Amino acid sequence: MADGVATAHNDDEEAHVSSATEANKDDLGFLRDAVRTLPPQILKDLLSNGVCTRCIFRLLILHEEICSRPSLSTPILSAILHELTEHEGDGANSSAGETKDLIDTEHVQDFQEEFRFCRVCLGILQFVHNDDKGMLMKKHRASDFAAAIGDAVKQDGHNFDSFSLEVSLPPIVDVNEQAVWSYIKKKYGSQPWFREKYPSESIAVKDFLKLSVTNPLEKLLDVKSNESSFRIRLTYTLSDASAMKQPIHESNGCYKRRKCKSKWLRCAVDDLHLKREQNDIDFIKNSAGLHKVERHEPSRNSSIESGDDGTGFLAFPIEKVIQCCSLNFQFYKTPIYVGGRYLKYSRNVSQTRWIIDDERMGEASIEEIVGGNILPICQGDSYKFHAAGREDIDVRMLGTGRPFLVEIQNARQFPSDELIKDIEMKINNLESKFVRVKNLKFLGSQGWELMREGEAEKQKQYAALVWISRPLNNDDVQTLSSPKDMQILQKTPIRVLHRRSPLEREKTIHWMRIERIAGSSHYFLLHLCTQAGTYIKEFVHGDLGRTHPSVGSILGCRAEILQLDVTDVKMDCFQA
Amino acid sequence: MKELNPISEFKQDPETSHENCDPVLHSSSVVTSQDSKIEEKQHNEEEQEQEEEELRRLLLPKVEDLPDTPPSAVEANFTTFLLRDFMKPGHDQYIRRHANGLCVIGLAPTHVAFKDKGGITSVDFNVGKSDRSGIKVTGKRKKNAQHFESNTALCKVCTGDASYIVRCCVKGSLLEVNERLIKQPELLNTSPEREGYIAIIMPRPADWLKAKASLLDFEQYKKSRAEP
Ligand SMILES: [Zn+2]
Repeated sequence: MADGVATAHNDDEEAHVSSATEANKDDLGFLRDAVRTLPPQILKDLLSNGVCTRCIFRLLILHEEICSRPSLSTPILSAILHELTEHEGDGANSSAGETKDLIDTEHVQDFQEEFRFCRVCLGILQFVHNDDKGMLMKKHRASDFAAAIGDAVKQDGHNFDSFSLEVSLPPIVDVNEQAVWSYIKKKYGSQPWFREKYPSESIAVKDFLKLSVTNPLEKLLDVKSNESSFRIRLTYTLSDASAMKQPIHESNGCYKRRKCKSKWLRCAVDDLHLKREQNDIDFIKNSAGLHKVERHEPSRNSSIESGDDGTGFLAFPIEKVIQCCSLNFQFYKTPIYVGGRYLKYSRNVSQTRWIIDDERMGEASIEEIVGGNILPICQGDSYKFHAAGREDIDVRMLGTGRPFLVEIQNARQFPSDELIKDIEMKINNLESKFVRVKNLKFLGSQGWELMREGEAEKQKQYAALVWISRPLNNDDVQTLSSPKDMQILQKTPIRVLHRRSPLEREKTIHWMRIERIAGSSHYFLLHLCTQAGTYIKEFVHGDLGRTHPSVGSILGCRAEILQLDVTDVKMDCFQA
Repeated sequence: MKELNPISEFKQDPETSHENCDPVLHSSSVVTSQDSKIEEKQHNEEEQEQEEEELRRLLLPKVEDLPDTPPSAVEANFTTFLLRDFMKPGHDQYIRRHANGLCVIGLAPTHVAFKDKGGITSVDFNVGKSDRSGIKVTGKRKKNAQHFESNTALCKVCTGDASYIVRCCVKGSLLEVNERLIKQPELLNTSPEREGYIAIIMPRPADWLKAKASLLDFEQYKKSRAEP
């Protein structure tokens, strides 16, 4: 076998062929009639130039007829085309006898031996590909190919109530498509068929593939296809290795004027092919699947423009394909979100994993505790933790808690309300008692909207344990609790000045309230509600007078803060 | 801060006495009456009460665990170094280095200016080629910051009798000077180690290591004072 001929695993193909014939006699008749309407010259031309049957039907705008019959096998389609082109001009109507001929296994066998990767679609619409182990896989029917996808989906263990199919093809397929169209246009543009059915009605390889596979896949998976959060992605690629095999002949004089159009196109040309294509005006080299070479010869260009007389001296623009694409199945879900509010009880637990020079800061993180417990229940691949602001590691988050979202990548399981309750219980009963979650909710893919709504200008409420350098008196309680919406000026605190901009910001202290601590005259709890972004520690001790006024400056003594807790993050989300 | 003499301010005092602390009542009744901020959401009341109670319990400290005098933010976050007789006799300055590397520069309690009658009466940042208070440093990268040597003048402090040049003490970028001192020079007399600081300098790590060698730590400083 020469290059370009595939040897595939056709395990049970005879069975396929015979079963197909039983079911599809009507289809065959219908198809034969449809094919008769096609211009035989173009049909023959494309067929002899190694364009696959599905590409031919596609290019000649019979895609609907083919795609709606996913059980039609490649040999049958091939047989119909060959029969029609061979009996061209007979004008005879189809008969039962002819149909029988078509499905004759010997006849079918002939076409298989001639199997070549389609020069346009690289075998994609012949349902031929290399699998992830490099094995050549070949299916005869769209329904069989759909079944292979369906099996892989089921193996991956996803749980879904709909799906959407995504197809990604190597860019060369697009280039081939353009080339074959301009070829047909140049050669047959004057024919009545061409003028009637302009190429705009034909569909691309990608769309043809989707159209053929979607219906059988819906049946197999027993769900509908729509804009689903569950994505089935077929990625066809050409291996770089196959491109490398082709030597690059930069020194050969004939190539001096050639030009690579795009980065992904590599100029590699094989000598033998070149000799054969010597007279081409444009040709796309496809020996390794992704080579496009253009030669510009103005004199010849002009000759073709005036020579669209259909005599066929125009050579087919795409070279033989010796290797088909590798196909990779991916199944993934667009992220889903679980949201709620968290409480942080420890002054040695950070909000997110915090590593400095390979050393963990704090003994754990909210991110890991919460995310790590939600992820396995959703059977996702990974998670991201998002929160509405953060507190310092030594600050506890109490009271109402802080809104957060856990984004789950590729969740295979949508947690039920009960499961969500279970997660909440599990986290809240952890031995470490670092964290508690409240109002945990499954949000589907809508997580961000909820969070953003509440984002704007949130107030925060704190409780600070304050010490002052003289005993607290009743006037102090009055002095601190009377101001409402007090403006303060706050310079960027020294503790963060090394990494933040030096700025002076105006902040609002909405209210303050003193709670005395029995048994101590120097200590008290200061409850305060402030504008988001206020540095509370500095508001208490004054940061060398850089935050002004401060608790210390208002009371006219030294004030120190020993502990700080956030008691409320005033946002609408996850309140209950 | 009348009750603390300037020197003891520098002292880290980890010792805490619990003798004077009364036993605390942890009963919630002491405080619940005050805190009546109730969420209007459909939380069931009992659960909410429980949460409020838990919050109270978490917030209220055990008084017996509280130190009489807690370490100040300055003590807790900065390491103090001193320079005696820098460039001139009696020109004693402090450098308080934050864990993040920034250095707060100011006058040590033994600075000769404090000995003049009436203390410091004015501060002038217009020294050298430029007014130190006129430079606006901006951005995370501290654009416009001037790079000064350790002996570069930061400002001039004046007393009734004399004036004294205050210097950077460490080589680095000048991030800010304490502009409040222009209108309130008395802060230098009342609180030289806090509101009366002079400037904040960001030295490069290598420069800091070099400078550190010539600085006294607080113990060495105390000792040097005891010697005549
Ligand atoms: Zn094809």
